[in-house]
Amino acid sequence: MTTVEKKRRCCAKAAVRWLAGSAWFVAALVTWLWPDGDDFPDTLLLAGLLAAVGVVLLVMVAAKRLKDRAAWMLALGLGLALWELVQAKCLLLPRPFFGTPQDLLDVFLTDWRRLGDSLYHSLMLLVCGYSIGAVLGVVVGVALGWSLRFRYWVRPLMRLIGPLPPVALLPLAFVIMPSTRLAGLSLMALAAGFPVAVLTWSGVAAVDPSYYALARTMGAKPRFLVWRVALPAATPQIFVGLFMGLGAAFSMLVVAEMLGVKSGLGFYMQWSQGWAAYPNMYAALLVMSLMCSGLMSLLFKVRDRVLRWQKDGLKW
Amino acid sequence: MVKQSALSLSVEHVSHSYELQGVHNPVLADVSFDVEPGEFVALLGPSGSGKSTILRLIAGLEAPQNGIIRAGEQVITGPGPDRIVMFQDPTLYPWLTVEGNVGLGLEIQKQSDPVKVKHMLGLVGLQDYGSAWPHQLSGGMAQRAALARALVNDPQMLILDEPLGKLDSLTRLTMQTEIARFWRERGFTALMVTHDVEEALLLATRIIVFSPRPARIVMDVPVELPASRHRDDPVLMNMRRDILRQLGHGEDW
Repeated sequence: MTTVEKKRRCCAKAAVRWLAGSAWFVAALVTWLWPDGDDFPDTLLLAGLLAAVGVVLLVMVAAKRLKDRAAWMLALGLGLALWELVQAKCLLLPRPFFGTPQDLLDVFLTDWRRLGDSLYHSLMLLVCGYSIGAVLGVVVGVALGWSLRFRYWVRPLMRLIGPLPPVALLPLAFVIMPSTRLAGLSLMALAAGFPVAVLTWSGVAAVDPSYYALARTMGAKPRFLVWRVALPAATPQIFVGLFMGLGAAFSMLVVAEMLGVKSGLGFYMQWSQGWAAYPNMYAALLVMSLMCSGLMSLLFKVRDRVLRWQKDGLKW
Repeated sequence: MVKQSALSLSVEHVSHSYELQGVHNPVLADVSFDVEPGEFVALLGPSGSGKSTILRLIAGLEAPQNGIIRAGEQVITGPGPDRIVMFQDPTLYPWLTVEGNVGLGLEIQKQSDPVKVKHMLGLVGLQDYGSAWPHQLSGGMAQRAALARALVNDPQMLILDEPLGKLDSLTRLTMQTEIARFWRERGFTALMVTHDVEEALLLATRIIVFSPRPARIVMDVPVELPASRHRDDPVLMNMRRDILRQLGHGEDW
């Protein structure tokens, strides 16, 4: 690369950084000055918020705190301006299925209490069900890899029940469990537990036999071999199972909440669709995706910490 | 340096076989030998002759099908921290730091001692690598760590299963010197399987040569050479020729 090219590229990057903040001002101006196509709430507030984000971005650029994300912020600002233009000003997309930024903002302003409560319930159910499933999955997986007798009795059950989508058991679980929450909880544990168990098993089965021989020559007992050799050696595989299990638990959560559990984001979404409250549905979707993404990132963080001895791993 | 009590060994009429795809496969045929405390015995033999099997039996990883092996006065029934094995591969646990790996035996014996581990790492020249991960070590460094992991337990007998077999020739020379030094300083009994006749002659006080499978002892000679030996010593070269002849390679060198 020649120095001229380098300089040009550097200038282009700086331009993107300053434009990123400006784009949000454009969005704010469009929102504020262009008359709404219909009677929408909170237009002024939205314009103010967009402008505020613009100010924050410009300050960050001045403080050299905005680098890699500048292009994304630019695209987001322009996207919001476009959305505002298309839906709030020109009313181009069919309503009410497609909402405006104002509508979405209004849901968060007026219904945040119920949204937060739904998030709390979903999160509690998910965390409980997933944790139980993950722990049981690891225990069952280790036992499968370690004990012949356990494998003899449990493997056929795993092969019968494991591949069945846990959702299929939901109607049954709603009937035989004392509460719908408990039904959702146990099925989520099952959904998360199955991949964790299978991958833990495969991880334990694949442990280099010389790892055991080495520990045994130094006097290690079976307890040590399981907890300090088999389990750590299997952790990379266990984490693959944990990721798959988390995905399975997400879908189980949503289905359970839509079909029977009378709380949580899935229930909220179902309810708002029933009342044709589409902005509420979008808001719930947004909260849900933030929740799932947040939990997934958290699991990656945990993995990076636990598996820091590995040479390299996928970065989320 | 503390001299620990060394372990004597007696292998009495040991036979052993493996089942391979339904076929009975004899590996050891009536092997007997005694080892005095503090001896350095090299076990030589053609590839696949069952030398490593003897070591596994002495380490207590398997029980012999016939015969008895005693360590000191005790019949060996299982592995024990008095007999520590060093394998051909370093077999460091990738999820533990070098320090964690070296301290493994002490931890298993519930005698964790970070100071002792650090000291041992210093003795093998890895003082700066205690908190490194095994994948960051070179082959020679990894094998040094494995040596430290064995020696930190103060074994009365060190069982070496071709520990230098996979190292490059220069690293090998250094490691041979180090093993010899530790053996002299610490006085443990050493048992080493190797393919390398020269290595055996350089390190051992006695060499036992095995026949092809099923292994029998075909030669058992003391190496009467001074502690500091050289590869071009005429006595050593004569012995090498004799041993190679026993191994069926009399014409090949």
